[in-house]
Amino acid sequence: MLVLTRKVGEAIVIGNGMVVRVLGVRGDQVRIGVDAPRNVPVHREEVYREVEQTNADAAASAARAAALLRQRGLKRPGDDA
Amino acid sequence: MESVDVMSEETTSAEDLVLTFQDGLLGFTDTRHFVLVDIVEDGAFQLLRCLDVDGLEMVVGQPWLFFPDYAPVIGDDDQAKLGIESPEDALLFCSVTLPEDEDAVPTMNLLGPFVVNRHTRVGRQVVLQDEEQYPVRAPLEFA
Repeated sequence: MLVLTRKVGEAIVIGNGMVVRVLGVRGDQVRIGVDAPRNVPVHREEVYREVEQTNADAAASAARAAALLRQRGLKRPGDDA
Repeated sequence: MESVDVMSEETTSAEDLVLTFQDGLLGFTDTRHFVLVDIVEDGAFQLLRCLDVDGLEMVVGQPWLFFPDYAPVIGDDDQAKLGIESPEDALLFCSVTLPEDEDAVPTMNLLGPFVVNRHTRVGRQVVLQDEEQYPVRAPLEFA
C-alpha cells in the first residue's frame, strides 16, 4: 500500500480526474472530500462489507426464507386479510 | 437436419433464461450465471440460483410490493455496464434474509439490489449511494 502524509487542505490525485482531499481533522475523525467522475462509484468501505455480509446471510437462510414465504402465501400490506 | 435444429433451438431458449453477472455477487467469487426459480405463484418472490456454485441460492423479491416509495438511483457506471438507458430496460429485485431466531422477521436488502437488463439478461449487484435512506435489512411487514 502506498502511504502518503497530507496536511489539511492537501490532496492526492488518482488516475485521471480523481482527487481525494483532506478537508479537516477533529480528534480521530478525518473529513475527506472525493472528487470523482460520475462514472466512478465511491462508497465507505463498511457499506460494501455490509452488502457482502447480507449476501452471505441471505444465502445461508435461503431455504428457511423460501419455506416461510411459501407458507405466508401471497398476503402483503394492502391485501385484505 | 431437423433434429439438430430442434436441439439448437432448445439450447437457445434455455440460455435466454440465464442471467449473467459479470462481476458476480459481492462477497462471492466466481458467481456469474444465475437462474430465477419461482417459489410463490405470483412471482413476488423467487430463488436466485447460482449455476456456478452448487447449492448457492438466495430468495429475492420485488421491493415495491413492500416499499412503494423505493426509488433507487442507478449510477452512470452501473447503467453503462448494464447497457440500461431507461427504467423500462431494467428488472430489479432484492435479496431476502431470515435470521435464525424463532420470531425473526424477514428483511430485504434495499441498499444492494440486483439489476438486470431485461433484453440482454446481463445483471449486476448495485450498491446505491443512498446508504442513509436504504438499509441492507429492511423488515418485511406482511398483512
